[in-house]
Amino acid sequence: MCEGGRAHHRGEVVPRRMIHYNGPINSRPRRTRGRRFSVGERMIAPPAAQDRAGILQCMILMRRFEEEVLRIAQDHPYVGRQHLHIGHEATGAAVVSRLTPDDLFHTTHRNHGYLIARGADPGRAFAEIMGRKDGLNGGRGGPWHLCDRASGFLSTSAMVGGSVGLAVGAGFGLKTQGSNAIAITHFGDGTLDEGICLEALNLASIFSLPVLFLCENNAKEGQRPSSMLAAKALRDLPEALQIRAIVVDGRDADAVAEGAKDAVAHIRGGAGPVFLQANLERWPGSHQTKPEFPTGVTDLSLAWEEDRIEGNHADWVRDHDGLRAFAKTLVEDGSLSRERVLEMDREVLELLAKAREFAEASPYPDPGSLMTGVFA
Amino acid sequence: MTKKFYAQALIEALTDMAEENPGFALIGRGILGHGGQAHFDKPLMERFGDRITDPPTSEGAVASMAIGAAMAGTRMFCHFGTASFTLEAVNQLVHEAGVAHSMSGGQIKVPLVFHMYHGLRRGGAGQHSSSPQSMYANNPGLQMIMPTTPRDAKGMLRAALKSDSPTLYIDHGALLGTEGEVPDDPYEVLLGKADIRREGSDISIVATSRAVLWAVEAAERLAAEGIDAEVVDPRSIVPLDTETIVASIRKTGRLVCVEEGYQMCSIGSEIAALAAERAMDALKAPVARVARPPVPVPFSPPLEEAMMPGPDRIVAAVKATLA
Repeated sequence: MCEGGRAHHRGEVVPRRMIHYNGPINSRPRRTRGRRFSVGERMIAPPAAQDRAGILQCMILMRRFEEEVLRIAQDHPYVGRQHLHIGHEATGAAVVSRLTPDDLFHTTHRNHGYLIARGADPGRAFAEIMGRKDGLNGGRGGPWHLCDRASGFLSTSAMVGGSVGLAVGAGFGLKTQGSNAIAITHFGDGTLDEGICLEALNLASIFSLPVLFLCENNAKEGQRPSSMLAAKALRDLPEALQIRAIVVDGRDADAVAEGAKDAVAHIRGGAGPVFLQANLERWPGSHQTKPEFPTGVTDLSLAWEEDRIEGNHADWVRDHDGLRAFAKTLVEDGSLSRERVLEMDREVLELLAKAREFAEASPYPDPGSLMTGVFA
Repeated sequence: MTKKFYAQALIEALTDMAEENPGFALIGRGILGHGGQAHFDKPLMERFGDRITDPPTSEGAVASMAIGAAMAGTRMFCHFGTASFTLEAVNQLVHEAGVAHSMSGGQIKVPLVFHMYHGLRRGGAGQHSSSPQSMYANNPGLQMIMPTTPRDAKGMLRAALKSDSPTLYIDHGALLGTEGEVPDDPYEVLLGKADIRREGSDISIVATSRAVLWAVEAAERLAAEGIDAEVVDPRSIVPLDTETIVASIRKTGRLVCVEEGYQMCSIGSEIAALAAERAMDALKAPVARVARPPVPVPFSPPLEEAMMPGPDRIVAAVKATLA
């Protein structure tokens, strides 16, 4: 389970900016609860609070996972439309670093990154995206509905706003159970146009529920604004309902980690829900019908070789890619060597190559099993 | 065994569950509506009032709150009041509660009962008289119970509360004041088992919810005229006891389906299809359906009365089938 989460839970004070880096890879202890291992025992653990190297590697894992999903979509045209988390890694990894294993997620369909960051098996995740028997959901969910209860995921709703309402329920359940855990829902800014969001925010506020509303504000849906609210700012909505709002630069992992720390402390302290708004610049490939790499396959050496940044979307890579920015920050402030960054990347790629192999080898579910598992 | 009102039996099931399971939580007050039986909720309110959350008028989010809490491991009972209001939460019921277990590959359970009152209620007009059962039955993953006796109300609600799958309890206000024998101790009535409310040999009347009371009344009137009708109460629509229903149709060779919902794609349509698929050779006459005609429910009492599938219409349908 998440070591950092435990440390955070115990309230241990770790000096800010101090680098915690424990060896080449955070090897996970063998997990029980009957989980499968697709890629051996070496997994990448969820990042611990203030483990900036761990957060960077988690971001690399999230990015490389989605790049592999694109390759899968190129190789298997039936896989369907992808909603990739590319460009959101700084937000995702930094928020995850502030959570504990008991915290519960209700996510949207742009959620692959969160599952993998929380320790879901990437082999089973790829298998699910390909509709295979060994998928996380046994092939019943597909790329829009990845679910991993063991990592704290209760559902992935592709009904816009669905996860926001359900997370209020998870918060209600946790409060009823007397748990110290919190519920998290992440969603895009466009989701706030749905009526259920306003209702859900209201319920969370009046019942003071332990819910983190994480709004990944990437501002656009295709060529139009994804949110068409008459409000001046997104935060006007939660604030009108007496919910504390925190706005951070979602491309800056350090800033998100600080905002998330503040938000989580507020919620866990029993002070009610928080609306954490992470502002991002949408990745140019987010709205695509064909699987393509509009910004190219990620080259981490661009973190220190900025002269080589080129192409139609050079501005996004240079100014808005939180992964490149965080690698650059850690190298420049002496936290990590360039070699170490590249080595971490190789470890991730090796893990994902094995995961892909596992998924490709997994069979489709038996059509004879169609009618099973509708009721618990 | 004591004679009790349906309203008391319903509250007993909730009180038993609250007593046994300290984690059991309820959303929604006024579980017995606003009629003459409303006060029977006292035993629950006095002992477990702190377990009941009184939500704002936000059906979609309230349904979400119940579903999310159930997914997180809290056993839930969520009272909606009028079934018409659940249409504000269809997305949550159908696309979240109904699919969660299957779509997660069995990882997620939704131990939750949604309770609502359906049907014509005198003056409900076009927006407060909904009987949405066939609409919900058209979606997989949701159990649906419609008990019609005090004994079944207590036993089936208990079975639904103990189930790890989401259940719609589609109730009718007119049942709350009916009386019957109800065991004092907790017991379960298996979901998916129909009840033969009256045995007969000439014709099968398959009725649901309040229409069972009308069907029994009609059968008694028919008996006085020498017609021996069998009344079958499926009690739960999902799961549906097709064996008992088909066996009754095969026995009598005639079928009348009765319900308060609209006739188009109704529960009765499903029963009629079942007869066509599995008892065609035994049928001696065409199947008849007694249900609401396709008219928005009118307010004016004689107009509302005219669309009610009550005993008169059932008697007429039976006679036409036997003619």
